[in-house]
Amino acid sequence: MVSLTINGKVVQAESGEMLLTVIRRLGIDVPALCQHDAVEPYGACRLCMVEITKESWNGWKNYVTSCLYPVEQDLIVQTHSEQVIELRRTLLDLMLARNPQTPLIQRLAAEHGITKTSYTEVVEPDDCILCGICTRICDAMGFHAISSVNRGHGKEIAPPLHQPPQDCVGCLACALNCPTGFIRYTDDGRTRRIWDRTFDLVTCEKTGQGRVTREFAAFLTEHRGIPEEYFRVNDESHRKELAQTMGDITNSTREE
Amino acid sequence: MRIESVKQLVALQKELQQQDKKFARKILVCYGPGCLAAGAEAVGEEFVKQLKKRRIKGVSVEALKKTGCHGLCEKSPLVAIEPDKILYTKVKPKHVDAIIDNTIRSGEIIEELLYEDHETGNRVAHYPDIKFYSHQTRIALRNLGQIQACDIEDYIRVGGYQAMAKAITKMKPDAIIDEITKSGLRGRGGGGFPTGRKWATCARVDESPRYVICNGDEGDPGAFMDRAIMEGDPHTVLEGMIIAAFAVGANDGYVYVREEYPLAVVNMQRAMDQAAELGLIGDNILGTDFCFNLHVSRGAGAFVCGESSALMKSVAGEIGEPRAKYVRSVLKGLWDKPTVLNNVETYANVPVIIDKGADWFTGIGAPKNSGTKAFSLCGKVRNTGLIEVPMGTTLREIIYDIGGGIQKDRPFKAVQTGGPSGGCLPAEHLDVPVDFDTLTRLGSMMGSGGMIVMDDHTCMVDVAKYFLHFLVEESCGKCVPCREGLYQLHDLAVKVSDGVAEDGVLEKMERLSKSIVIGSLCGLGKSGPNPFLSTIRYFRDEYEAHIRDHKCPAGVCRELITFTINPEKCDGCMACLAACAYNAITGKKKELHIIDQEVCTHCGACVSACTREAIDVA
Amino acid sequence: MQSRLVVNPSLCIGCRTCELACSFAHAIGGKPTLSRIHVHPGGHKDLFVPIVCLHCEDPACAKACLVDAITRNESTGAMELDQSKCVKCMACVAACPFGCTLHDVQFRQIVKCDLCGGDPACAKFCPTKALDYRSIALMRTAG
Repeated sequence: MVSLTINGKVVQAESGEMLLTVIRRLGIDVPALCQHDAVEPYGACRLCMVEITKESWNGWKNYVTSCLYPVEQDLIVQTHSEQVIELRRTLLDLMLARNPQTPLIQRLAAEHGITKTSYTEVVEPDDCILCGICTRICDAMGFHAISSVNRGHGKEIAPPLHQPPQDCVGCLACALNCPTGFIRYTDDGRTRRIWDRTFDLVTCEKTGQGRVTREFAAFLTEHRGIPEEYFRVNDESHRKELAQTMGDITNSTREE
Repeated sequence: MRIESVKQLVALQKELQQQDKKFARKILVCYGPGCLAAGAEAVGEEFVKQLKKRRIKGVSVEALKKTGCHGLCEKSPLVAIEPDKILYTKVKPKHVDAIIDNTIRSGEIIEELLYEDHETGNRVAHYPDIKFYSHQTRIALRNLGQIQACDIEDYIRVGGYQAMAKAITKMKPDAIIDEITKSGLRGRGGGGFPTGRKWATCARVDESPRYVICNGDEGDPGAFMDRAIMEGDPHTVLEGMIIAAFAVGANDGYVYVREEYPLAVVNMQRAMDQAAELGLIGDNILGTDFCFNLHVSRGAGAFVCGESSALMKSVAGEIGEPRAKYVRSVLKGLWDKPTVLNNVETYANVPVIIDKGADWFTGIGAPKNSGTKAFSLCGKVRNTGLIEVPMGTTLREIIYDIGGGIQKDRPFKAVQTGGPSGGCLPAEHLDVPVDFDTLTRLGSMMGSGGMIVMDDHTCMVDVAKYFLHFLVEESCGKCVPCREGLYQLHDLAVKVSDGVAEDGVLEKMERLSKSIVIGSLCGLGKSGPNPFLSTIRYFRDEYEAHIRDHKCPAGVCRELITFTINPEKCDGCMACLAACAYNAITGKKKELHIIDQEVCTHCGACVSACTREAIDVA
Repeated sequence: MQSRLVVNPSLCIGCRTCELACSFAHAIGGKPTLSRIHVHPGGHKDLFVPIVCLHCEDPACAKACLVDAITRNESTGAMELDQSKCVKCMACVAACPFGCTLHDVQFRQIVKCDLCGGDPACAKFCPTKALDYRSIALMRTAG
């Protein structure tokens, strides 16, 4: 266990925990747009930066991303000091220049007193904030279908060579975890379309609707040991089947 | 033919020295980057042809050495004659005949090929007498210009691999680390981190395997020190790495060479192959238990991959994006294993320190900055080239004594050091000693050794714009402050340069710079605003002239300058008319030419074409 | 594992109090979420079966989860889904052969029984003890 001070309050934390985890546990609202617990912290958006110091540092302060900084004994943390707020404001001002029409950024910027960027807006803006959550999740799941491409200001999220990615299984994890909804997809229960690829869903024999694509189901069977017949019907039908089975058993014992 | 013992290595050295004594004279043709660009290959080939044909006693074709960078690139192609130490400059294939007939046969000197001292007008025959050379102390560059480039036998002849032999057969790893620590060697890539401490930290980690990596991704514009060492003396890098690997307990090493140095990629690999053939890398080196394998890893054109954590990702085949350094790469580096990463020049110093001892090294240089530093001296100096001086040498000594002062005796304006992350220092700081710490206090940094000298025809706003543009192009794009912040900072600098900046732009840029410095993930971003911050510190009035008066005092920023033809100097030769791609100039032969200001794009082609210096830029 | 949620359909009267209790026990911001337990007809007269996660010894849901969001709580024995890690790919929903990992459409989350951390609300409120949370040791001695 480690004891440290956050915004003047002394708290305990597990050794190895990141500052952001502890900060959130205290209910303090620190934005962290590139943070997702399914993947390793990334340190890209910099919004979660906090001011740290120690008594032994003689007044010297450091600024670190709380998502990546492990707790330290006797650390003194300020999440909303003047310098930190100024930094967050500048970051959001800059992000608003790239994504002026994205509601998430507009809201966060407005919370920090900015309604329009003071910098040059990007021509033809989109909603991608380059948080990398989509690519990191896709990598964590083992598909590596999309990646960040290009360097610097021209960076974007795309499949290899901007072609429909052959490694994609249509699980939608990228789209469903995108903070701004930038990644578009369609899904009518039978067919899914994302990244310019069309996928057929494994449809329930009873209802004709599906939840996962054929490719994803095949992957789960081959690599995770989920028998193919589990995907035959959907969850509601599974429950009904189980109820019928248990009903039959109960009924037979009742008759005895 | 493997060398299985130290004894064998020494015996080989003696044999090679004997063979070398047979040469009456040696011809050292510089094949360094500058000389190659100026046509050294043709000169070398002509020498080979002539030597074969003429069969001069004691000067066979083996007496010709194609060396690494001799140093005085401004006067390339260079040819040195040993043992006389004669230096011929701007040598062309047509001069080879005369050199062989006169100098090689009888030691007679050809005046017109000699270096001309700009102060006295005298020709200097021997290069140790040229101030450019006499003020230098070459340690990392000791073999450049002296031995055949990328040739293990020539390297062994001058004592190569004996420091390595001493280290792995006679010293313990701890003792080696102690010696490097005592020597005070600090990272020559610019970071200045104590090398011994880095090795000690790595050696202590209870984790394996461990790796040593050489950072050959020299990306600073204008810097070519590491290039010259990798191309001209790759074996010194290998020797340094073997010693490092033995000291920290690593059995695998990588030399990361940037893609833009194809000859360095080839030569580092050739050197590794040569060393492997002799058993100086690989299994059971020199008959000991120590095994060390080396590999070349190529970059793919990203300046950011010179940053240590991005470099390690690149070696591992991933996208070259840095990661936050709260867990240092010496503990978790390549593939999350303990890794020592050092610069090319740092490794080049290691064999010498092991050979001559830490005390010898601390005797050179300055307190807390022992040893020397290599610089690529470029820009508006007379003697551009590759130099090495003791730490603590002043800027004035480098620019005026070694560099020969400003071309055409124009006024000195500033010197840019440390690459894009560094800064510019004005004349008031010319007497400042160059080392890791002093320049940083003044808003610049020594960096990896790039040094660009500027005169009064340089616009500091333009310089800031140039370096900011470079950094915007090279940013990896992962974090917001660097990707978006530097982009916007550059955008504002362009507006200043174009004379369309709004009031308060400088304060805005200063505030933005502060956020970029605090907020950025890695060194590229953190030092990204330096081109702006250092120029605004010393040249604020120049910025204000652009903003307030819409003028570029140095006559550089295209939107703010006007080209006018001086009626007193123009003789109507029509050269500028021909040069202008926009047909902005009118005038008949022998009549005054006139530039139409509405059409003129300020490209400067007419100025280059005019031989009468009749076009004024203001 | 000490205790188990024992389901006895012969005692179930189909009142669905368990569903209500579960929804409110897992409320978000005061609003009840999708119940993790559902009562289905048992296919015979007056027969109802509460269907809830069996916390399998070799759970398909955990095997299907590619980000390890479903893990065993060693003290309660329950397979728990960590919402902050879940990427909503539905692999677990599709893989569970009993359909006990559910898609809560309204709150856009995947949910499953977590035994309420050791004090299951459904068992607490079940009027007939069709749902009973009791220790295994007791079960064994009861024969």
